[in-house]
Formats: sequence, structure tokens, C-alpha cells
Amino acid sequence: MSGASCKANGAVYPASSAMMNSVKKPKMEQIQADHELFLQAFEKPTQIYRFLRTRNLIAPVFLHRTLTFMSHRNGRTNAKRKTFKVDDMLQTVERMKGEVNLPLFIPSQNSENEQNSVSLEVLLVKVCHKKRKDVSCPIKQVPTGKKQVPLNPDSNQTKPGSHPSLLVSSNEFEPSNSHMVKSYSLLFRVSRTGRRDTNGLVNGEANENIDVTDTPSRKKRSSSHRDEGETTETFVAQMTVFDKNRRLQLLDGEYEVSMQGMEDSPVSKKRATWETILDGKRLPPFETFSQGPTLQFMLRWTGDASGKSTAPVAKPLATRNSESSSPMETRTSNHRAALMTVKESVSTDIQTRKEQVLCEPRQKLRIFYQFLYNNNTRQQTEARDDLHCPWCTLNCSKLYSLLKHLKLSHSRFIFNYVPHPKGARIDVSINECYDGSYVGNPQDIHSQPGFAFSRNGPVKRTAVTHILVCRPKRTKPSLSEFLESEDGELEQQRTYVSGHNRLYFHSDSCMPLRPQEMEEDSEDERDPEWLREKTATQLDEFTDVNEGEKEVMKLWNLHVMKYGFIADNQMNQAIMLFAENTGAHIIRRNLCRNFLLHLVSMHDFNLVSTATIDRAMARLRQIQEELPDIEEEQQDQTVVSAGACNGNAVTSTGGKQGKRTKSALTD
Amino acid sequence: MFNTNRQKIMDRTDILNQEWKTRRIQPVHIMTSVGSLRGTREVIPLKTLNAVASVPVMYSWSPLQQNFMVEDETVLHNIPYMGDEILDQDGTFIEELIKNYDGKVHGDRECGFINDEIFVELVSALSQYSDNEDDEEEEEHDFKVEKMELCEGKEHPEDPPALISLSVCLSVCLSVRYKELTEQQLPGALPPECTPNIDGPNARSVQREQSLHSFHTLFCRRCFKYDCFLHPFHATPNTYKRKNLENQVDTKPCGLDCYMYLVQVIAERAKTPSKRTVGRRRGRMPNSNSRPSTPSVSSETKDTDSDREEGNSRCQTPVKMKLTGEAEAVEWSGAEASLFRVLIGTYYDNFCAIARLIGTKTCRQVYEFRVKESSIIARAPAEDEDTPPRKKKRKHRLWATHCRKIQLKKDGSSNHVYNYQPCDHPRQPCDSSCPCVTAQNFCEKFCQCSSECQNRFPGCRCKAQCNTKQCPCYLAVRECDPDLCLTCGAADHWDSKNVSCKNCSIQRGAKKHLLLAPSDVAGWGIFIKEPVQKNEFISEYCGEIISQDEADRRGKVYDKYMCSFLFNLNNDFVVDATRKGNKIRFANHSVNPNCYAKVMMVNGDHRIGIFAKRAIQTGEELFFDYR
Repeated sequence: MSGASCKANGAVYPASSAMMNSVKKPKMEQIQADHELFLQAFEKPTQIYRFLRTRNLIAPVFLHRTLTFMSHRNGRTNAKRKTFKVDDMLQTVERMKGEVNLPLFIPSQNSENEQNSVSLEVLLVKVCHKKRKDVSCPIKQVPTGKKQVPLNPDSNQTKPGSHPSLLVSSNEFEPSNSHMVKSYSLLFRVSRTGRRDTNGLVNGEANENIDVTDTPSRKKRSSSHRDEGETTETFVAQMTVFDKNRRLQLLDGEYEVSMQGMEDSPVSKKRATWETILDGKRLPPFETFSQGPTLQFMLRWTGDASGKSTAPVAKPLATRNSESSSPMETRTSNHRAALMTVKESVSTDIQTRKEQVLCEPRQKLRIFYQFLYNNNTRQQTEARDDLHCPWCTLNCSKLYSLLKHLKLSHSRFIFNYVPHPKGARIDVSINECYDGSYVGNPQDIHSQPGFAFSRNGPVKRTAVTHILVCRPKRTKPSLSEFLESEDGELEQQRTYVSGHNRLYFHSDSCMPLRPQEMEEDSEDERDPEWLREKTATQLDEFTDVNEGEKEVMKLWNLHVMKYGFIADNQMNQAIMLFAENTGAHIIRRNLCRNFLLHLVSMHDFNLVSTATIDRAMARLRQIQEELPDIEEEQQDQTVVSAGACNGNAVTSTGGKQGKRTKSALTD
Repeated sequence: MFNTNRQKIMDRTDILNQEWKTRRIQPVHIMTSVGSLRGTREVIPLKTLNAVASVPVMYSWSPLQQNFMVEDETVLHNIPYMGDEILDQDGTFIEELIKNYDGKVHGDRECGFINDEIFVELVSALSQYSDNEDDEEEEEHDFKVEKMELCEGKEHPEDPPALISLSVCLSVCLSVRYKELTEQQLPGALPPECTPNIDGPNARSVQREQSLHSFHTLFCRRCFKYDCFLHPFHATPNTYKRKNLENQVDTKPCGLDCYMYLVQVIAERAKTPSKRTVGRRRGRMPNSNSRPSTPSVSSETKDTDSDREEGNSRCQTPVKMKLTGEAEAVEWSGAEASLFRVLIGTYYDNFCAIARLIGTKTCRQVYEFRVKESSIIARAPAEDEDTPPRKKKRKHRLWATHCRKIQLKKDGSSNHVYNYQPCDHPRQPCDSSCPCVTAQNFCEKFCQCSSECQNRFPGCRCKAQCNTKQCPCYLAVRECDPDLCLTCGAADHWDSKNVSCKNCSIQRGAKKHLLLAPSDVAGWGIFIKEPVQKNEFISEYCGEIISQDEADRRGKVYDKYMCSFLFNLNNDFVVDATRKGNKIRFANHSVNPNCYAKVMMVNGDHRIGIFAKRAIQTGEELFFDYR
């Protein structure tokens, strides 16, 4: 990639072959047609990923920093957890109570290295009430201190408490004698006495502002630029402490202030608006954070001036990599425009407000995205200077993380990594095999839909057994895993999930199947309840079959249905099992002779032997003897009361009778 | 019925509610303040209902694991509703549909809505009010007039005399009918053709056939069930026939009091002096002493045994007296007599066994009863032959020739597969007149022909898995018959699913676990839980078995719905999984499916097996080609 596309806020630079061909006669239609094809291929997925990104910002489903390949995004360490006590919280709160002093900690590392530090001056600005005739409010600036603070410090090396701090005495906020002070504000003035980098960008197109903002970081990165001139740049920022109603505006906390250049810049002067001026374009306030220099500090109201040692880490002045970006607000409205500049769209990452950009080696990495479309016959290339994901603007910080993220989070595309002398080339093409099917843990799907991700409060999920592996064996991250593989590429791209990646339902009730119900096949029983009932009612319908017969038949049918006998040679066994299982019932209901008739009938069908009849009846007698005395009473009853079972059978069958006759069956 | 159902539903909901209480999400109460109209602030709990993803439409169906045969429907049970637009654009459809049923639609009132039951109920309800009236008849009479008006609907009291005369003759008819109906309903009265319960007090002494009639007629020899679901309207010839005559009479007497002694005594008394008898009996004594411990002897008889023994050892004369004594006058109840007649048909002269089974009579009494009844009871049938005995060489025909024959049979035949119906043509071999032969089916074990019948399928003798064409069963598209194929394992391991024979999956119901979920293609789909190999059995396609005509009628409606679960079983029947079925009914159609369907002969029934066409992975959706 030549310097032609080095424009930091780059537009699309199609280095496509189509472009090459049409170089002599650049037909607009051709370009447009090509562009249409490009959009056709990439518009939809990009829109989807844009939407998902926004949704994830508003309501994160997961945090990127928890991913193993994004671990560097996790800024804090867990070291403190070991020593944490709940009481510490109280102490911290108590310490905050005094509210007289305003200590201001401004980071300043060892400032031997002049290039790495800038001087910071903090002034307390008091705006006083107008005197009668005054045109403007009298302003009093009280210098509170001047410190050297590190420029783009590496937070990893910064030790807590090593930052310089400034203390603003509370006396300053006392009403002064002469003027009634209307409001107080802090003015930060950062001056850099470094050598000015005048050549800026190679093509010289860049606006001065950019140039300036870019300088601090670039300076650090590359010494190849020629430095000329010894100028002082000054950046200022102002923050209100007490407003005119004497309300406290600055509370405890970490602040990041965007600084504005004080230098004379004709462009910026002319077009100065309340917004930051950049590149001659109006930029919304958010953009200044990603582009301009910022100052990070920690503000703390303390009652104890000596509490410096416990002061939390003050944030160093950090300048972000500056890339122009389409503002977040406009992005959703004009997808097309955004799509065209897929590559450059980086905007403030709300989530990663405090991220440390600076842990990367300062070597500038250029990522070339090569979009392949129209059956991979056409391509467009775009370059980016940072490691933000082009779709969700996530700062991945590392090339490996970026590639991993792309591959895992944007599976509608296929990404192939190609090493490049200046950085990396990523071939992007549409994943034809993407089918949108669920690729997560199949167990998770069982968390009831609609309940699992409720945002309205705590939700009880269904119990699912997860296997958590403590310190699983992971292959060492290597960029080679993203290289295009020659064989079986299609197979790899397929979302290849074997297993149950969907929610199943009960076939009878259409209710979702809970994970603990996966194993048993509840609705596949051999004798469903309705069938058991059906066989009973069907037998009840016979008018010319007596109750005793019906009862034994029903018992036997249920027995057969339950065990599913299929062979003649099972029958002897079945009969014995029948006697065993229902023997007591048969005796209680006084059905022994009917049972015997059933056995004889079975024998007549040549299904059982007489030996089985003997054994079954013997077993029945045995059961009868084992049964408690109640039996005999009951038997007496049955004899007396015209057969209890008969009566029962009649009542239970009720009006059912009179529908069928067995003789009709044989006709 | 309604109430019992309702009770059941209530019970179910109670159980469900309990379950939900214990395991469901506790509702999250969020208090929200709502400004009411009056300006006061009221706080009410806010309950959030979570969105639940909708599922595809499912019409209710009943689960089933075996086919269920249903009768043709002669009336249209309901007029299908398919949305107004269908009816609008094609009004003739419903008309045609009704025409298919000869214009009969369920619920059409033909003669009136008061049936016999309601009539009886109504009269008896009214009669208690008419008790205090002088003329009971009149009351009833008036009522009947009203009723007739309701029924006929056309008569109006414009012509009172004519009406009255009409109503008088009607009332006579009705009162006659009422009497008929009420007489029938007398408690305890059973239809004349019904045998009284043998265990009941009214048990009558009836012939063997009558006692066993219900059992014989209702039993399905193929399903082993009474009034089975699969062969109800085409009952198998239930003429049972004993093939192995196992009427071995116990050679040993069951006890001291055994009828055998009596028989001996009688027999020997006729020939030889009684003295020898005693001697013989002495010699037998040790035998009978060892007997009482056998479990087959009931305790009662044991007691009497010991009594007899004692008596026997003390003095012999009384015993001898008893033995030689003529039949005691024993009362035989109807049940006992019936039971005896039933058992004598099975056990013939094994009176000891009969006595054991009757329980209340000794074998001597049984024997004596037998003697009395001898005129009625037929002798044990001699080795009678329904089919002429086959020639010896047939028995020894080579296995290979048979296999070849099967192959020829199957290759030569057309695609027509007819339903199997057991043949029953006594005293005639299975030749061209046999229904099995004409339908190109093998004779099965259910046929009434001899087990040596030439048309019988002999089963396989594989020692392998029966999943190649080496297995004659597999070749003949039959599952291995556990009563014929005794070597392949189809008859082993009833409890476990690990059967060496892979050709008996349908009958054993060795289906795979299937899971239901919205399909990736259309509507619902069915997914397999565990991976399966190629050609492995997945599930049987179950449903209602309906005739081809019925399928045509139903199919008209299904086609309109664009949703059909019909599956051709054979030339006579179709499986319809619309109303009853199993989960495989949700398998979708595909031209490139992963399953195939195969209609197999399984123990005399055609059944549809769904098999894997290729190896199928976990969680894959199942498809087969509907065509």
C-alpha cells in the first residue's frame, strides 16, 4: 500500500482490478456498478453487525474483557482481592467525608525524559460578580501548581501513588474580600516544549489540527520524521468546580478532559464553533476524545492533606490514536455512507472509555482489509491504522485478538490472514455456509426462552450441568491459525455443530423440553394412558360378555400392552408374570375361575402348556395363602352380596353397554 | 363421563400447579408508582410477562406405538374449516366432500333428538309427580303428546280430535316401548346370550364352548390380546386347534384318596379278587408317602392325605371300604360343573390335575362326575388331521431350494402387496385356492393349515445379524419371526435391546429416541438424539390403519390442508398418522433424505419401518422421501 492511502481519516481506496482497468477511462457507471456489487455482498451483514454492536453497547450480553484472547482489555488486576476487607470500604468512605481540601493528583512520572513528559499547570479561575460598570466579569487566576506529567505513559509500568499530585487549598474557595466570587473553575494548561513536527503527514493534506494532535504519539513511535523548530504547544481545558449557584460540579472521580490547542491556527480560528474543529469538519464532542489530546486525572476531596500515599492512581495523559470516524449518531441513519467507509469507522467506544491503548508496541501496524465479492472475482481494499474491529469498533489491541474476534464474532464473513510487510492483510469474503444456527453451548439453549436473558431482575434458570475446566489446555495463540488452509476449506467454514443446538419440545404439550428431561422419552411409552383406557372401554361395550370375563380380559390386555409380548414362546413366561403381578388383585376381586378360563383358552390357542396352567394356578393359591385375612372376609362378602366385583363392574360400565356383541365380530 | 374427565383434568392441573409452585421462577415483583386520576399516587406490583417464541401450529394427535385399525367412517364427522377464503373461492369442495359420505354429516337429526335413554329417564322422572294423581296414564299421555309434537314438529293443535286420536295410539306405542326398555334394564338381568360370571353366584352349569366362548372369540391370537386394536374387524379365524396333544395322564396317583385306586379297584374287582388289590396297594404305599411334599398338591388334600394315612396304617378295612364305596352324593355347583367341562377338554383323563384346578373337589369326586357325564363329553380327539400329511421328502427338502423359491417368488411378483389374512380351509392343503397363496403371502403361524404347510415361511437359520440378503427373512422383506428363527437371536434377550439379530427391530419397538423441535424446513421437524449407522432402524411409522377407500376420502381433506400423514401400507390398507401416530410423523419430506421407509412383514402384519439411509449425526433432522 502506498502512501496515497495514508490519509488518516481515510476514505475508500479501491485498489481493485476493476479500478485498474478503468484507469484510463474512469466511467462513473462502471464504478457505480462495481460499488453496487460491493454493497450487495457486504451491506446486509454489515448492517446486522452494526446493529448488534449497538445493542451490545447498550445491554452487553458479555464483556469482551472476559474472553481469553482479549484478556489484555482487562485493566484491573485481582491482586487486591486477596487483601480486601469489607471494612476497607468504610474507611474509604470516611476518608472522603472531609470536604475542605481539594487535592489534585496529576500524574507525573520520573520526568528525566523530556520527550515523555509535558508540564502541566493548574490554575484556579475565579469568576467574580460584575461590578457595576464592568463590561466583563472580573476573573482571577490563581496558580496552584505546576508539574511534569508523563506523556502517553504505559499504565502497566505506572506504580500507584507515584503520580504527582497537586493540592488546592480550601482557603482558595473561601469568599475573598474584595470580590464576590461567582464561580470557580480549574484551568489546566499543558505546555509541551518539545520540538515541533512540522512535516506532518507525507501528503501534506492533513489539517494542522490533526497534525498537532497526532504529534505526541507519533513522536514516540517513529523517530524517522524530521523534527524542526523548537516551539511550545499549549493545550488548555477548563472545568467548573463551583458554578454560580455555588453548587459543586466536580465530584470525586477519575476525569478525562479533552484538551484544546491554544496555538494559532488559522483554520480553527476561522471556523471556531463550540465544537471541536477537526479537519475542517464539524465534529461532535465525543470525537475529540478519540482524536485530541486528553488529560486524565483523579480528583479527590479530602480532609486530610497527607493522605497522598493512599491516593489512587492518577491517569496519565493519553492521546488516542487518531482516526477520523463517522460519528455514532449518524451511523445508524445512513448505512450506505457508513458502509462505504467500513474501514475507517471507529468511534468512541463507550465501553472502553478507560482502555489503555498504549500497551501495544508502538510500531504502527497497518491492516489492509481486502474485500472479495462477486464470486471472489472482484475486490476492494481498505486500510486501517489501528486494531479496531471495523464492524463493532472494538479495540482489539493485538492482531491476534483482532483476528480471533473477527473470526468468532463475525461468522457471516470468512477472514483469512495474509502476512504483509507493513502489517497484515485480511481477506474478507462472504461465508456462504453461514446458516444462522445456534453455535453456542447446547446446554444453554435449555434455559427457558424468554426467561434466560430477562433484564428485569433476577431470574431463576433451569438447572443445567456445565463442565467447567479450570485452566484448560489452550494452544498457544499463533497467527498461523488464521492463514487460509488449502484443503477442506469449505468444511471448516461450515458452522459445524454436532449435537443439540436447538430447543426441543414435548410432542404432547408443545412445552419446551428441560435439560433434565432430555434423557427419558416420556411420550414414547408402549401403553399410553389413553390406550389403556380405550381397551377397557372397548371391552365394556360388549353386552354379551360377563363382568368377570371383562375384568380378566382387561387385566390381561394391560399386562400385554405393558410388556409388549410379541412371540408365542413368550406366553408361558407372560402367564407366570401375569399371575405374579395381578394375582393378588385377581384373588381380591374373586376372579380365580375366570383366570383359569383365560389360561385354558390360551392353551386352546396352543400358546401355553398345561404345565404352565398348573404352575400359574399353584402360584395363585400361594398368593392367596399369603394374603392377609381380609381376603376371606372379602370373599365372604362377595358371596353374600351377589359378587362385589360384579356389582362394581356393572356400575362402572354404566350406560356403555349395548353397543357391541362378540358374536358380531365373528360374522 | 364428563365429570370423570373433568375430575381428571382438575387433578392434573393441581399436580402441575404444585410443580410450578416448586420449581418455576418466582415472579419478580417490581413496584411501580402510578399516578391515578385523582392525583394520588398508588403503588401496584408490576408483573412482567416475558415474550415466548411462538411454535409452529400443531393439531392435536394421540401418541401410539403400534398401528390401530379403525373402521371406515360412513358419516362426515365434521365439516373441515380451512379459513373463509378457501370456502369462498371453492365452495364446491365441501359439497363434494359431503357427497363422498352420501350426504351424511354427523349430528344431522334424522328422527328426533330423544333417544331411548332420554325417553326412559324422562318418563321415570315424570312418573313420580303423577303418583298422587288419579289417572297416571293421563299424565303420561299428555306428556307424550307434547313429545310427539316435538318429534314430528309438524302437527299443531289445530285439529284437536284428530290429534287426540293420534296421540292415543302413539301413547300406546310409547308405553309398550317404555315397558320394553325398562324390562331390559332390570338389575342383574343379562342378555340371554351372555354366560353368567363363573365366579359369581349365578354361575350356571354350561357346556365348555359356552364357558370359553368370550375368551375364544375376543382373543386375538396375533396380538395376544382380547379385542385387540389391530385386527378387530377382520377377526382371525379363531378356531383353535391343538397341535401338540399333551394329555399325558399322571401315572402316579396324587394321594391316598386318588381316583386311580378307585379305578384300579373297579377294574380289578371285575377281574380278580380284592385281596390282590390290597397287596398291590401296599406295594404302592411308599410312593404315595413321598408325594405329599410336592407343591402341586393343595394343602387341603395334604391334610386329608395324612388323615388317610393314619387311618390306613391303623386299619385297612375302612379305607378299602371307602375306595370301593360308590360315589358319594356330592353337590356340584354350576361353576364347578362348568369348570369341570372346560378342564376335561384340556386335561382329558387327568382327574388329579382337574381336581387341583377346581380346588373344591377331590379327584375322586371329579372322576365320579366324569363317569356321570361320560355320555356328554367327547373322547379325547384322536390324532386327527385337518390337512393331509405331507410326504416325507418334503420335510427334508433342502434349505437352498427354499431360499431360491423365495427369491423367485419375490422377483416374479409385481409391486402389489396384499394384506395377510390367516387362511382357514380345513382338510385342504394350501394350494392355489388358499387366500395366502393367491395374495402371494406366506402362510404364517396364525394360519390354520398344518405347520408343515408348503406355503409356510420357514424362518431363517442365520447366526449373523440378519442384515444382509444372505438372510432369507431379510431377503423376503420380513422381520425375523421369534417363533421361527431360533438361531439368529430374534427369540432371545427379551428384556435387553442388545439382540444379535438386527432384523427384529420393529416388533421389539427398538426405536431411537427422537426429539421434536421446529423444523429447519417447514413446520415441526423431528431430530435424532443419538447418532445412528447406515441402515439402522429409527422408528416405526405408526398410525391408524384405514382402508384405501377411507384414505381417498380423508386424503381429499388433507390435500386441502396441504398436510398429509397418509402412508400406503399395502394394496388394502393405508396408515394415517393424522389422528394417532408417533413422533416420526413429524419427519419432513426431502428429495435428498437421510432416511428411507420400508414396509415389512412383521409377524403377519405389514408395518412401516423408517431406517437410516446414511450415517446420521446427533441432532440431525430426519427426512424421508414421501413419494
